[in-house]
Amino acid sequence: MHLRRILPLLLLVLICNSHGASPKNGSTPGLIRKSLARISNTAQEPNYRQPWLSGFTGGGSGTGWVVGKNRILTNAHVVSNARFLTLEKEGDPKKYIAAVEFAAHDCDLAILKVQDENFFQGTIPLELGGIPEIESEVSVYGYPIGGERLSVTRGVVSRIDFRPYAHSAIDSHLSIQIDAAINPGNSGGPVLQDGKVVGVAFQGFSGDVAQNVGYMIPIPVVRRFLKDIEDGVYDRYMDLSISTFNTLNPAMRKALGLSNNDRGVMVSSVSSAGVCHGFLKTGDVILSVDGLPVASDGTIELDNDRIQMTEIAERKFRGDTIRMEILRDRTPMEITVPLSRAWPFTMQANQFDISPTYVLFGGLLFQPLSRNLLSSMQFQNPRIHYLFETFVPKEVYNEHPELIVLTSVLPDPINTYLNEFKEGIVESINDTPARTLKDIAAAFSKPAEFYVIRFLGNGRPLVLERSAVESAAERIRSRYGVLRDQNLEENAH
Amino acid sequence: MRNSLHLIGFIGFWTLAPLHLFSAPSASTSPSTHFAAAPNVVRVAVTSQAYDFSRPWSKRAPISKRALGVVLQGQRVLVTAECVANATYVELETPDGESKQAASVEAVDYEANLALLKPDNSEFLQGQTGLPIASASANDTLSIWQLEPNGKLMVSKGQMTTAEVTRYPIDESAFLIYRVSVPLQMRDASATLPVVKDGKLAGLMLRYEASSNLLDVIPAPVVQHFLKDAKGDAYKGFPRMGLAFSGTRDPQLRRYLGLNGTKGGVLVTQTLPDGPAAFADIQKGDVLLEIDGQAIDADGNYADPDYGTISLGHLVCTKHFENEAIPLKVFRSGKLENKTLTLARRRPEQFLSEPYIFDRAPGYFILGGFVLQELSRPYLKEFGSEWSRKAPMDLLNLDRTQSEIPKGGKKRIVFLSRVLPSDVTVGYEDLRHQVVTSINDHPLSSLSDIPEALKKAVGGIHKVELSGDPHQVFLDAEAVEKIGPSLMRAYRLPALSRLQ
Repeated sequence: MHLRRILPLLLLVLICNSHGASPKNGSTPGLIRKSLARISNTAQEPNYRQPWLSGFTGGGSGTGWVVGKNRILTNAHVVSNARFLTLEKEGDPKKYIAAVEFAAHDCDLAILKVQDENFFQGTIPLELGGIPEIESEVSVYGYPIGGERLSVTRGVVSRIDFRPYAHSAIDSHLSIQIDAAINPGNSGGPVLQDGKVVGVAFQGFSGDVAQNVGYMIPIPVVRRFLKDIEDGVYDRYMDLSISTFNTLNPAMRKALGLSNNDRGVMVSSVSSAGVCHGFLKTGDVILSVDGLPVASDGTIELDNDRIQMTEIAERKFRGDTIRMEILRDRTPMEITVPLSRAWPFTMQANQFDISPTYVLFGGLLFQPLSRNLLSSMQFQNPRIHYLFETFVPKEVYNEHPELIVLTSVLPDPINTYLNEFKEGIVESINDTPARTLKDIAAAFSKPAEFYVIRFLGNGRPLVLERSAVESAAERIRSRYGVLRDQNLEENAH
Repeated sequence: MRNSLHLIGFIGFWTLAPLHLFSAPSASTSPSTHFAAAPNVVRVAVTSQAYDFSRPWSKRAPISKRALGVVLQGQRVLVTAECVANATYVELETPDGESKQAASVEAVDYEANLALLKPDNSEFLQGQTGLPIASASANDTLSIWQLEPNGKLMVSKGQMTTAEVTRYPIDESAFLIYRVSVPLQMRDASATLPVVKDGKLAGLMLRYEASSNLLDVIPAPVVQHFLKDAKGDAYKGFPRMGLAFSGTRDPQLRRYLGLNGTKGGVLVTQTLPDGPAAFADIQKGDVLLEIDGQAIDADGNYADPDYGTISLGHLVCTKHFENEAIPLKVFRSGKLENKTLTLARRRPEQFLSEPYIFDRAPGYFILGGFVLQELSRPYLKEFGSEWSRKAPMDLLNLDRTQSEIPKGGKKRIVFLSRVLPSDVTVGYEDLRHQVVTSINDHPLSSLSDIPEALKKAVGGIHKVELSGDPHQVFLDAEAVEKIGPSLMRAYRLPALSRLQ
């Protein structure tokens, strides 16, 4: 809950760091500058209140840099919901038209391609470095507010930690905090040390929360992204979809059959939609992952650092496996879990480049609950917020693969008594469970004299007469400018 | 040193002298002269001390409240229940302020927000005839009585605009109110004020909104119901039907329900298990057309002889008493059926999460440092004025949706509210607000089940099962026993448990 409150304050900024020290092995400053671009994005935000409309046009700008052959790297949030993208280079009057080739919203990175190959004349792919030392100096390059031309700021590495990535709202990865000046308009810019890229500037705090705090995406995350797309598809981060609990307590250790060696972490829940379902169950003890011993607080030692055991999946790809030694009912076992990603999480994440799905029937607008919908509406019904928050931890998805909300009522004589149902969550239509938008569309397409919609809770049923809906359909469409009565596909562009 | 000593002696003389002079003769005058300026009212001073539900072993600091009570026939004093909630000491004071008398609460109804006080010495109210009670109706001029600091009666007059059924301070209770439009200047920080019509008590102030000058009054019919009930052996309270309903104005709904030929009626959307409606074979989906011979309209109102169109809640709760049987006419699958419903009150302890707890210490059980409690609305309200957003999500949801939870013999929801860290709870320090489903596989339906469950430890270890992550934790049974006294010392606990 706390996290949610802090996240909106995170101000995504493009930062541009000037590299003062002379380069040793990496690229020269002149070449670096020529390999950067200002990205201008004309974006269209989907309209969840009137989902049949095309949405609100806006825009923004950020920084990108050449990372490979005909490839520009930037932040995903710079190019989200893009309808038209242009690139400008220092000292080149031309605007180049670009397109998004890959967007990884869970780690806020994207790859653009440019139609006109002339763009790459005089540029070099910037060299990728490693994780910079704490307190070492870094330079941030980019196009922040306060001027038109390239800007460079300098600071030191403050700390390296797992942090939430604000763009998707649910993901956390390794992230490096620097104290270089960060300003809006600079996201996606490279952070350099000794002529090599050591990070991608991507977010910070707004000035009234904290000063001189900026974050960059470190190179391991960038490399993982580049490797993931090698096969032409971005598969996203993998997740074990389990939670674990420490075994520090002596009684706990005794009950689980553990000796006094400070090893092993208890599995406290296993998501039934996750990859470990069928492999692990609550009460199992994980003793090692991929041969690395797991301590009683759930950490493993990796690259001279203690990290949470569950984060070992961070470094893996779809189809990879994780090997675990476990203790089940005091019996040692070994399991090998193939990795993929659990689907229910996407409902809780910000989503981009999709068109809102909905069904409009008798002036009643039904939409599936998602973070996008939640942030567009001011829902008062506490049940909606509760089910959103507990969708994954309480496995609400087993009963309700989607939570279909009656989000609004377009007033018409046929629905004048139906306002009380606003914000209700559909349970069934004509006694058939209706727990996805497709269920809803199917139920309304079946002929019936009455459509009786029941909602979660103890209220009365909503009753619509088919004849009334049919007679009102054209009236509602023309009165409210409804272009389509339904959209069932998110990717219907 | 010398100076200050002198000064103290000097002041002492002056403050003591007048008190001595005036109080001696007043003891010999007849009690009724104390009421000369304002008959039939007494000041009520209440000291109350609420329990701290987030630290259930301790009470909060005492606070004082003042009220203007009404003397009724039989030498009892009527005040609002709010003002005597969690009272530790109640004192009555004559309008002139010269005589005081301790009193005790004889009957209290927190739902109807009424309490009846009895002075410990019956001579205190001698000579006071007591105000009779009379109903009022819209357009009547009502007087709101207050006392000036000097003991004089201050009367403000206002017009009663309406009577309606609306919410009372306890969540989920709704009764009749009179609404009066009157500008009031509040004197004496009084929590209860009498509202009078032609020298008769029309009700007590329920709440006053200064911005709109609207005064809500606990009306005579509610007061009379309370008083009549309080005369009996055991106070029973205001009964209910044990059902929820919804209006039927929507013509599409009416056609679907087959109500074409009928007028009015409300749709039963829920009946409480073991409630009066369920016993009377009222079912979800029935349409209630008549209650006690009164036709119910599509909004759930009936035509009251005194107040006109008003919610059926008044008819059921206030015009009837517990155990009275009332005839109902319901419409079920196309047919009219007659039912008889025996009214009963839903007592707070019948809720899974008690809606209010006053005058009673909350239970708790400390298990090696785990603080186990029973979920209640007062616990959630410890999270402040925005409790409905700030209290723990899972507990709030259980409280909010408790009527949807199949009861299955469960009396209470036992939860771990926090951990008082000790040697026994290493690793568990961060657990909080977790529902405890069982201990040693013994399901918990209330705190009272814990001692029995603790006898079932296997291998000297207690298994505590939680409804959320981490789902199970373990405690060493022997260590739990041993740590008790040092926990009491370290956290200054008066006892390790309080079970009802």
